[in-house]
Amino acid sequence: MNNINPNLNTNSFIKIKKFLLSKSKYNFCNFIFFVISISLIFNFLTWIFINSNWKVVTSNLNLYAFGSFPPDQQWRPTLWFFSLLSITFITVYGPKWNWLRKNLIFGWIGTVPLGIYLLNGGLGLNPVMTRHWGGLTLTILITSCSILFSLPIGILLALCRRSSIFLIQKLSSFYIDVMRAVPLIAVLFFGQLLIPLFLPVGLEIDRVWRAIIAFTFFVSAYIAEDIRGGLQSISNNQIEAAKSLGLNKHQINIFILIPQALRVALPAITNQLIGLFQNTSLMSILGLMELLGVSRSILANPEFIGQYIEVYIWLASVYWLFCTIMAFVSKKLEQKLTINKGY
Amino acid sequence: MSKNKKIFFQILLVFAVLGFLGILINNLIINLTRTGIGFNFNWLTKPASFSLAEHPLPYSPSDSYAWALFMGWMNSLKVIISSLVLATCFGTLIGFLRVGKNSFFRVITAGYITVIRQTPLLIQLMCWYFVGFLGIRNNSFLNISNLLNISNKGIELFGLNLSSEFSALLFGLSIFSSAFIAEVIRGGIQSVPIGQWEAFRSLGISEKQGFIKIIIPQALPAFIPGLTSQYLNLAKNSTLAIAIGYADIYAINDTIINQTGRAVECFIILIFSFLILNLLITKVMGIIDKSIMKSRI
Repeated sequence: MNNINPNLNTNSFIKIKKFLLSKSKYNFCNFIFFVISISLIFNFLTWIFINSNWKVVTSNLNLYAFGSFPPDQQWRPTLWFFSLLSITFITVYGPKWNWLRKNLIFGWIGTVPLGIYLLNGGLGLNPVMTRHWGGLTLTILITSCSILFSLPIGILLALCRRSSIFLIQKLSSFYIDVMRAVPLIAVLFFGQLLIPLFLPVGLEIDRVWRAIIAFTFFVSAYIAEDIRGGLQSISNNQIEAAKSLGLNKHQINIFILIPQALRVALPAITNQLIGLFQNTSLMSILGLMELLGVSRSILANPEFIGQYIEVYIWLASVYWLFCTIMAFVSKKLEQKLTINKGY
Repeated sequence: MSKNKKIFFQILLVFAVLGFLGILINNLIINLTRTGIGFNFNWLTKPASFSLAEHPLPYSPSDSYAWALFMGWMNSLKVIISSLVLATCFGTLIGFLRVGKNSFFRVITAGYITVIRQTPLLIQLMCWYFVGFLGIRNNSFLNISNLLNISNKGIELFGLNLSSEFSALLFGLSIFSSAFIAEVIRGGIQSVPIGQWEAFRSLGISEKQGFIKIIIPQALPAFIPGLTSQYLNLAKNSTLAIAIGYADIYAINDTIINQTGRAVECFIILIFSFLILNLLITKVMGIIDKSIMKSRI
């Protein structure tokens, strides 16, 4: 130890000082921020792995996934999850067979009736009341049903807004503008409290379906605007070319405009889908037992009282994971659908 | 389509829409008379008989429902404007760091934006309220000699008292919106052609000067439409206040519906309050847009 050069310490100190202050004065600032963030992350990780109590999550996993779905019937939502997972996998990594690619869209559409059948029962399965639906199952069901219904309505509204007929154009503009001006919670509240008032006596729609209808009302207006943007991006040459081929107006819409508009609007529609998935959490305010609703009832349980942080971190990571998967799938789809790369 | 055909079609459409609305309104009238509520706005002048934790103007439970609704509207406006300012400052800072040269800050801000954007606002709000404010066990979390005091009763800043509900909503909304605003800012700055950067560098203008004097003025018009839609979203998102018990316009409407059962009237009031709010924001942003356009010429 004694034969160490006494200058080494000061030298290294000067070196460190030079390193910190040499390139620019920001480097030092950088270093401090780096240390602060590392210590924050370290604290967070120690809390997650040592100080927190994850029993509130691990002992309720069933509730988070299925709500109060009858335990002996829980294979049905599980089966549905697996079918969704496999079709996602096929879409992203599946083989490039033409017939498969062409029919994949029907597979996606088919998952929604399959899910409704599996959850609802009937036709050989035990019927399960909608008040037993809950957790992640209900969140995914509301999201997928709403997006499936609002896509065609959105396309129709977008076409109507560009229509040459004055009244149709004004009506759809009015609908879209009003829906986009009103907060979602008001629309959902309309669905839960006011839809029953507008129905004839004796006809009743279930709570879950009213939520899906309200979401469809809301999301279709936003999707209509996204598709309108897509329609506007198509050059007039396309329409002229189609006309010169002798296609009529409806054929132009169906074969030329809508497919191209959908491809352009795909990122925007994915954003709507992600927003919709997150916004299903609002239904917990209106009393549905979806992911957040289940968590609120778990937090009200005296056994788990006050364990907010664990539950919220768990929920946030579940939502984050699903949103990231959706964004990833949409990015892959976008790459697959892009043509004229060297345009 | 020929002109006559178009007119005929429109008349048919009018009848179809009127008929559909007629059926709905008929159903509504039947349902309302059956429950014995009816449809009128006379109840607005009756005393509200519920108290509000927060009211910018004097209010007591003996005041009318209309006054309570107005207080709710003012509360909404208060939280919208304050979080709009905070979110813009914060979002701009993050947006600048996101496109900046510093790779460490780029990574941090990118992570921040993805995490905030991919988790529901409702969970963030509840986290801020239940964990952030109500979770403070001892008397105060941060106390700087009468200037700033953060406790489970809220924030006290220079003698200004902010309730914990308001503060949680303010933080939640600002941080959620700031992630979206940062993306708008990034898009705006990236819309300025790279040649502009090269040009000011070749003229010997410093990075800071060039960024402020050359890049920002050109990016400003690209910010405005994105910012407007984010502000409108912020205004709409402020209705989630009901989840943490802040008395905004939606929460007060909800209370009134629970008290009186007048869902239809309250829904109409709610929609009109929001149309007015939206009009306010779009008008103000339109004026800002115009002044920016003027200053460019």
